[in-house]
Amino acid sequence: MKKIEAIIKPFKLDDVKEALSEIGIYGMTVTEVNGYGRQKGHKEIYRGAEYVVDFVPKIKLEIVVTDDRLDESVNTIRDAANSGKIGDGKIFVLPVEQSVRVRTGESGDEAI
Amino acid sequence: MDSPEANTLIEKKDILVQAFLKGQAPDFLDRLTTALDEYFYSVFEKSIAARKMVIAGNPFAVIALGGYGRKEQCIHSDIDLLILFDKTVPPDVEGFVQELLYPLWDARFEVGYAVRTIDECLRMSFERFDILTTVLDARFICGASLIYSAFMEKFRQRLAARHLKPTLTYLLEHGEKRLEDFGDSTYLVAPDLKSGFGGLRDYHTLLWYAKIKSNIKTRRDLAYYGILSHLEYESLEDSLTYIWDIRNRLHYITKRKNDTLHFEHQAEVASLMDFKNSGGQPDVELFLGELHEKMEFLKQAFQITYEDILSSSRIKKNKTAAKPTKTQGLMVHKRRLYFSNTVAIMQTPDLLLQIFLESGQSRIPLSIEARRVASEFRHLVDETMRSDPKTVKIFKRILGLSYWEFNVLNVMLSTGVLQQLIPEFTALVNKIQYNHYHLFPVDKHSIRCVQIINSFKDPGTTMADSLYASVYKEIRNKNVLLVAGLLHDIGKADPAKEHSRRGARIAAPILDRLGFNPTEKEDIVFLIENHLLLAKTATRRDIFDEETAVFTANSVGKIRLLRMLFLLTVADSKATGPKAWNDWTENLIKDLFLKTMGILKTGELASKKTQRLIEKKKKDVLGLLRENWREEEVNQQLSSMSRRYLLYVPAGNIVDHINLFRNLKDRDYIWQITKENGSDMRTVSICGKDKPGFYSKIAGVFFQNSIDIVASQAYSLGDAHILDIFNVRPPKDRLFEKEKWEKAEKDLFRALEDDHYLDRALEKIPQTLPPLPGKQPEPNQIRIDNQTSSFFTIVEVLTYDFPGLLFAVTNALYRSGLNVNVAMVGTKVDQVIDIFYVRDMQGDQKVESKEKLDQIKSTIINCLPKIHTKEVLSEKN
Repeated sequence: MKKIEAIIKPFKLDDVKEALSEIGIYGMTVTEVNGYGRQKGHKEIYRGAEYVVDFVPKIKLEIVVTDDRLDESVNTIRDAANSGKIGDGKIFVLPVEQSVRVRTGESGDEAI
Repeated sequence: MDSPEANTLIEKKDILVQAFLKGQAPDFLDRLTTALDEYFYSVFEKSIAARKMVIAGNPFAVIALGGYGRKEQCIHSDIDLLILFDKTVPPDVEGFVQELLYPLWDARFEVGYAVRTIDECLRMSFERFDILTTVLDARFICGASLIYSAFMEKFRQRLAARHLKPTLTYLLEHGEKRLEDFGDSTYLVAPDLKSGFGGLRDYHTLLWYAKIKSNIKTRRDLAYYGILSHLEYESLEDSLTYIWDIRNRLHYITKRKNDTLHFEHQAEVASLMDFKNSGGQPDVELFLGELHEKMEFLKQAFQITYEDILSSSRIKKNKTAAKPTKTQGLMVHKRRLYFSNTVAIMQTPDLLLQIFLESGQSRIPLSIEARRVASEFRHLVDETMRSDPKTVKIFKRILGLSYWEFNVLNVMLSTGVLQQLIPEFTALVNKIQYNHYHLFPVDKHSIRCVQIINSFKDPGTTMADSLYASVYKEIRNKNVLLVAGLLHDIGKADPAKEHSRRGARIAAPILDRLGFNPTEKEDIVFLIENHLLLAKTATRRDIFDEETAVFTANSVGKIRLLRMLFLLTVADSKATGPKAWNDWTENLIKDLFLKTMGILKTGELASKKTQRLIEKKKKDVLGLLRENWREEEVNQQLSSMSRRYLLYVPAGNIVDHINLFRNLKDRDYIWQITKENGSDMRTVSICGKDKPGFYSKIAGVFFQNSIDIVASQAYSLGDAHILDIFNVRPPKDRLFEKEKWEKAEKDLFRALEDDHYLDRALEKIPQTLPPLPGKQPEPNQIRIDNQTSSFFTIVEVLTYDFPGLLFAVTNALYRSGLNVNVAMVGTKVDQVIDIFYVRDMQGDQKVESKEKLDQIKSTIINCLPKIHTKEVLSEKN
């Protein structure tokens, strides 16, 4: 089992969700996050006053998949989130030791 | 430990709960309390430890506190007990507690107890107010009743003599803190039935206040002592019964003491409460609608208490005569507004609105009596009054007076006067949307929205607040914004989708009645119809792309409308709930607003004229391509092109580019050279895959091949392609022009591959210019404009033309890590103005740091040849 953490642009969320559901992945955790990488915060000026946006708004997706579906899932996210620009985001893959479905107690791949 | 008494209690409780669930135990709380009392009687009677203590001269009383004291025991509520001794607590009490409480603990009752002497208990009551309030609810169960009454008497004496004011202050502060901690429960997704505003604590506070002030004993006394009118007492009973019903069912479902009606339990509680789906609205929405109504009443009851405590501490007792207000027909008594008499209302129905205006202006609440009268006479607000300019004027002023702390519009709603004035609003009342996103029924949401718009007057403390205040100040006609705020969701009466458009339709006749002129009406209708535009665009499109701001600017069209739409969006989102409004969405929406404002203010890309020019150009291009292209193909191409490009590039070049783009395939670039009619010039149209430094390399290759650039424009197509145009003088050697171009073409392919291919050409750029004849030459100028655009840093270079100028400058930009997104380069005689829209390659955004801007400036200056004036030259000679 692997956990995929993807940081993507907010407006790409629907595309990514749709692409994932097309390959049969329906469950995910979505968080609204702020951060910066190469793309930094910036400032805007309104009537002489500066309004600083320190961070860039992003979406964080977390998905746990079985090992055999990892590459497919990562590629799907990458394709759907790609606009060719800086700030398109990053995808991280982490090993997952165990998973348990709370209701039934099923564990491992069964619980994904 | 097996206890027959505990078993009897459990049995009784089970039977009671079953009866309750079947709706056969209307006095459930009372009966559960009695069952508990009976348990304590029988254990006390049997107890050897108790008898021992009494014989030893240590009599005591067993006293119920808190909810149990009030006889309001819910299924899993705590049982609070006080074992009270006169002077000393004997050690034997431990044995008694064991006999009394162990069986209950074993049976998993939540029992809390305290063992104290009278003095101890008195001291603690006045030290800790949470203990004081439980003592206010104290009720004797068994044991020595004399001890109980002695204690209560001392307690009352001390309270009256020394602690009245601090206790009342505590009640006030406790209320405020509760609002801070739990918020307004009436409209929460997961309302807290006990501690939130509108929860049972509101009623407790009222009861405590009455107990402190009038020494009442039970709830019933609230009406006997005139603290509530008969009618209000009925409503109180009704609301309490309803909420206790829910609370008991919630305890039953969750099998524990739980007072938060969580989202996932709502449907189940609704079905236990026997709500049926009706008229397409789910039962749970009806159930929540009713709950909110009841909680609203409790909240009002609390507000009355709150106001009473405030005024009792503020106003001297002798000043009790009613005083007329400046509005004839109204009066103030004990800080409450009243109608002078009902005849006056019949004669001047305007009073029905005047009273709200008066209330909003003076911040004196309507008395309960006045609310009832307003409600009963509301039918006087009839069709003629609805569109009477006098009434309308009053109403508009009321809108501007609706604040969070003092929301007169809410009172107008609860009396029904608002719905009478705007009948279309009725359909929104207690209209719940059962989801995590919408926290408030539509009517309350709309009023909150108005409230928040008014709050923008206050510059606030955060940077965002000051932006709202600054934008708000610039809005000339606040009524337009306020009415748009009130009516933005008017289309939600119908559960179908598209409420924005329908809302705009429903609003039109309302706006006519409210006497708005055609422009104002048009603005409000626009705001209602587009109230989701900014929020949707900010989250669903790339706000770092200039085209998103240009699209928004075009949709909104006017600066005036953008300001209002922005504040409406903020107010609407804030009024919806934390899912719709948090730092994250605030940043996105604020950013989109500022960027769109930039576009609208510059006017370049979103003015009416621009729109017309672009539309015409699109038509021209369609006309020119008709023979070989299908219309939708051309439209698709055109829609992917930036508006800046469409605005500035002539139709003929656009056609060339579209054709080139189709033929590009997987080549790095492709160009087309056309000979201008009747001139010696050539136009080179280039389409290529974007690579860093592309533009600079084209300029370099032309310089290397002695092709003189007169003018050029550069644009990007989408994210990955470039479209450039160069107006050039052809190579001098006309005989071999074709060969020359072929060589240049090859050079460019190489230059794109090899970043240093043009290094030698760079060295050939002159270091100094020959002396300029004639007038005094201007010095080189580099201007950097970082304010005009939110998306680009604009670099302007003013200098004299020399071979390789464009290459020198663009190479400097490229080597500084900048990407040229747009370039406009022109020569006038020998003066050159080059304008570059650049972005930092690192973050694909405009350059922010001052150091970097300075560095860019000096890099460009250094790459330009020195300009020598004649004087300078002669000095050197």
